[in-house]
Order: sequence, then structure tokens, then C-alpha cells
Amino acid sequence: MKLLNLLNANIRKEYIELKRYLPNTIAMLLTFYIIFLAMFAGIQVIGDPTTQDMNIQYVIVNYIFWYLTMIVVNDIGWQLSNEATQGTLEQLGMSPMGIWRIMAARLVSSTLVHILIIIGLLYLSMATTGQWLNIDVITLIPIFILTLISMFGLGFIIAGITVILKQIQAFLQILQFILAALAFVPLSVAPFLAFFPIVKGVDLVRQVMIDGASITQIGYSDFLILGFNAIIYFFIGLSIFLYCERVAMKKGLLAHY
Amino acid sequence: MEPIVKVRNVEKAYRKRKSKEMIQAVNSISFDVYKGEIVGLLGPNGAGKTTTIKMICGLLKPDSGSISINSIDTDSHRLKALTHISAVLEGNRNLYWRLSVRENMEYFAGNRGISRKEVAPLINDLLDKFHLKSKEHELVNRLSRGMQQKLAIAVAMLAESDVILLDEPTLGLDVETGYEVRTILKNIVKEYNRTIIISSHDMDVIQDICERTIIINHGSIVTDDRVENLLKLFEVRSYTVSLGGLLSSMQQQLLTQKFPNHTYVSDSYQSTLEIDLLKSEEIYDLFDILKLQATPVESIDRQTVNFEQIFMKIVKGEKTHEVAQSS
Ligand SMILES: Nc1ncnc2c1ncn2[C@@H]1O[C@H](COP(=O)(O)OP(=O)(O)OP(=O)(O)O)[C@@H](O)[C@H]1O
Ligand SMILES: [Mg+2]
Repeated sequence: MKLLNLLNANIRKEYIELKRYLPNTIAMLLTFYIIFLAMFAGIQVIGDPTTQDMNIQYVIVNYIFWYLTMIVVNDIGWQLSNEATQGTLEQLGMSPMGIWRIMAARLVSSTLVHILIIIGLLYLSMATTGQWLNIDVITLIPIFILTLISMFGLGFIIAGITVILKQIQAFLQILQFILAALAFVPLSVAPFLAFFPIVKGVDLVRQVMIDGASITQIGYSDFLILGFNAIIYFFIGLSIFLYCERVAMKKGLLAHY
Repeated sequence: MEPIVKVRNVEKAYRKRKSKEMIQAVNSISFDVYKGEIVGLLGPNGAGKTTTIKMICGLLKPDSGSISINSIDTDSHRLKALTHISAVLEGNRNLYWRLSVRENMEYFAGNRGISRKEVAPLINDLLDKFHLKSKEHELVNRLSRGMQQKLAIAVAMLAESDVILLDEPTLGLDVETGYEVRTILKNIVKEYNRTIIISSHDMDVIQDICERTIIINHGSIVTDDRVENLLKLFEVRSYTVSLGGLLSSMQQQLLTQKFPNHTYVSDSYQSTLEIDLLKSEEIYDLFDILKLQATPVESIDRQTVNFEQIFMKIVKGEKTHEVAQSS
């Protein structure tokens, strides 16, 4: 019950801020769409016409996925960096729920609030390009959930680093590109990347949305890898975060000093 | 009776960012606070007040020593201990500036696992008490510094915790707002019977609200006593005597023998004597000396000493607590 109230409060905050700063939100979405159009145009101009449709579909899936990682992983870094320099982080640190539960609630809420936007963007991209992908919800949901869990782990790592270093804006800028690389790289190029966070997830999503694979066609081993990644990254992430929190409490780093 | 806050031999040193040198911010501090007490933590800049408060509310881990709240160790059972504590730390950025007054209250309650519905009556009550009802839907970045501070205290009240820690609650407020915040704090104490620890260098706050004060300087406790005792300590013995004439040289000599620390100021018709008595009976000795020449006494005033003067004397080491108690 308490956890539900915690989640509820964080969803509300996320929603209120998106709504209150609507021009910001719109600008963000517009940026997303314009970059998408640029890529779409690029493929049409310089791409190989025989694989054009395929390429566009790739771009749609990868790009949407990248957006998701930005919301989940990068955003928590920005938020915490602000809160640490302002002083609200200490306030969170005094909650008997523990900062990590609040962070988990934030990760889940930003995903939930943005998922609607992401679906909107997906349909907008498909309508713009005329490339209709296979939206097999039953198959996609488990893939998404497992991939999200490993993303949350990544989010915790970023949150931990932020708590210690605070001014990590430069790092977050670079991280955007690392995340983009992970979202865009085809797994066939480097199979070992399957054990990197999100790579396997995007790959499976591509199989479903582009190649039309259904849940029965995706092997157990694929889900196993996905599940394995989810558990490993979540726990590694959480442990790193808790460790960083302890260090911060020892050294007095929770506040701006 | 078990103390509600128990601080034992707590130490904390920080490492300076550049020079790697260590700063001993808190140096083996021990004290107890009992339920319903209002304790002031007083000390000059850098004394270690904020550090002490942050260790009590679990944001900083002591290097050594232990702290318990309601007999729960804040180190080994941190989150459990936190259910009994809430705090307002110094500064005005401890709220979400992009959220409204009410949204802030709801969000912080939510972060403690309390639902909006559950907390609504308490929020309404607190908005009234803190005179924030009309600003309920105002964004925090549009509030005055004083209102922000009131909101921060209201947020700390939401947890309904036994112990509330306030770090410099009136810092940066103008006189009027400072007075308002103090009045609100006094009412809270009366009405909700919370245990409160307030750090401040504002003597008015301590004198007005606290029953007991712990004075710290350079990370150590200099004195820990009831505020009234500390006031009594100096008040009883300082007198200003206005005389309707001048003292003879014999009288002056006797005075110097009896009261070496007195000051005597005279003009052509009248004079003023300032005198510190070690015991109240000594006032008779003073009268005896005055009687010798039948010097007219116009008034005798007990000097009102404010906390600030006591504080300065104690911090400068003029009076230690031991001296105070032995007299
Ligand atoms: N995070 C930190 N890192 C390094 N040094 C610190 C840190 N926090 C406090 N200090 C140092 O520790 C000492 C005690 O600081 P503290 O903030 O506890 O004092 P204070 O009594 O609250 O002072 P003020 O009245 O200025 O708020 C000071 O010398 C301060 O410079
Ligand atoms: Mg301070």
C-alpha cells in the first residue's frame, strides 16, 4: 500500500510537470519529430532503394527505443543532478522509504507517463513514412517489461554516479550517444552485445515489429537472455546505487556544500 | 524515562575538497533529549550545528559514536529510525519550486508512503495554521522567502513524527516574518506536543521557544542547561545603581575593596554604579557603603541580560558551565 502511494505521488509529479511546462514538452517532442524527419529524408536521398523500406522501419524502432532509454536512464541523471545541487535530495534522503525506493518509483512513473507519448510518436512516425509495423502487443509487452527492468538497473547506476559527482551534465551528454549506439547497433554485427543492457531487447522488438515474429517464434533462450539481463542489471544497478548512497552519507555529499 | 533522542560520543570529520586536510566538525558530542522537550542548538558559524542535525536525521554517518531515536539505532536501522523523524534543513531550496504549495505537501507525504486522501485533512489544517491557505495553489518559486520557510516546516509536520529537527528556521527572514515563524512554532509545540530540536544563531528563537539550550562551539558542547538557568546566571547579579550625588573617595576605596569589578561613572551632580554581585546578600554591603555618606539612591535596576550576551560570554570562555553551577 505504501509502495503504491509512493508510486502514485511520483506519477502525479511527473504528470504535473509535463503538463505545467507544456511548451517545454511540446518543444521536446517537436525536436524528436524533426530529427526523425531528417533521418527519414536522409534514407530516401542516400539510401539504397532496394532496402529503403527496411531501413526506415529500422530507424523507427531504434529511434523510439532510444527515446525510451533517454527518458528512463538519462532523465534520472538530470533530475538527481538538479536535486542534489538544490537540496531536495536530502529531503528525499530522510524518507523512511529510502532513496532507492523513491528512485525506483520515479523510474517506473516516468516510463508509465511517457509510454503514452511514445506510442503517439510511434504512430506518428509510421503515418509519416507510410511504413506500418507489426504491433503485436502480446509479444511486445513481456519483451518491453524485461528490457525496462535492465534499463532501470542502468538508471540506478547513473543515479548513483550522480549522487557522488553531482555535476555530471557533460557525462550525460556523452551518455546520450552511448545509449543511441546501443539502441541502433544490429545484434548480428556483434553477438556478444546481447549481454549489454537493452541491445537484446531492441533486437527482439525489431524481430517482432519488422519481421513479424510472434511470441511462439521467439525462442526460450532469447527470453532467458533477456530475463538474465533484467535481473543482473537491476541488481548490479541497485547495489551500485546503495553503495554510492552510503559513500555519500559518509562524506556528506548528499547536499551541495 | 528513556530519552527519545540519544546522542553518544558522536564524532564527524570532513575531508577538505582540495587539500585533503581533515576538518573535525563535531568532536565527541553526547546529549539526550526527552519527549516533549524543545531544545535549542546554539553556536557560531561553523560550530557544527548542521552537521549534528544531519547525523541525527540519518543524512550523515558519524565517524564514531552512536545515535538512537526511540531506542532505534540510526545506523543499523536507519529507515526504521527515520519513521520517527522529520527535519527542515537550512536554505530555501528544500522544496520543489515547480510545484505548488499543496502539491509539495502531497508529494512529500507520498514519498513517505502516505496517500493524498489520507493526508488531506492534515494538509488543510497545516495550511490554516501556517497562514498559507490563500497560497495553496501558488508555485513555490513565486512565494516569499518567509512563506517558503513556513511551507518547509509544514512539510516536516506532515510526517507526524515524534521528533522534528529545524536547522536555522529563521535565517534570512525579516523581523516580522521571523516573529511569525516563531509564533507558529510555539503554537505547534503547544498543540501537537512534538519533540523539537532547533539550531540557530538567532537568540530570539532560542529565548522565545526553547526550554533548554545546548551551546556548541568548535564541534564540542560548551554548556547544556535550561534557558532560564542560563539567563538567571547573569541576570541576578548585574545591577545598575543611579545615585543622586557623588561618592566620596573613601566610599570609592571601600567599593574597590569589596567589588573589584564595579564601574563608576560620574558627572558633576550624579553618578552611576554598575556592579556584579557574587551573592545576592552582597547588596547589603553596597547599601552600607552608600549609607556612610547618606548618598541618595535614585534607582536600582537589575540589568536585563539577553541571551546574546550570555552566549558571547560562554562562547568566549568567560564563564563555563561548572563555574555557573558552583555559585
Ligand atoms: N560537506 C562538507 N564538507 C566539508 N566540510 C564541511 C562540510 N559541511 C560542513 N563542513 C565544515 O564543518 C564545520 C562545521 O560545519 P556546520 O555546517 O556543521 O556548522 P554550523 O554550526 O551549521 O554553521 P553555520 O552556522 O554556518 O550553519 C565547518 O568548519 C564547515 O566548514
Ligand atoms: Mg548550519
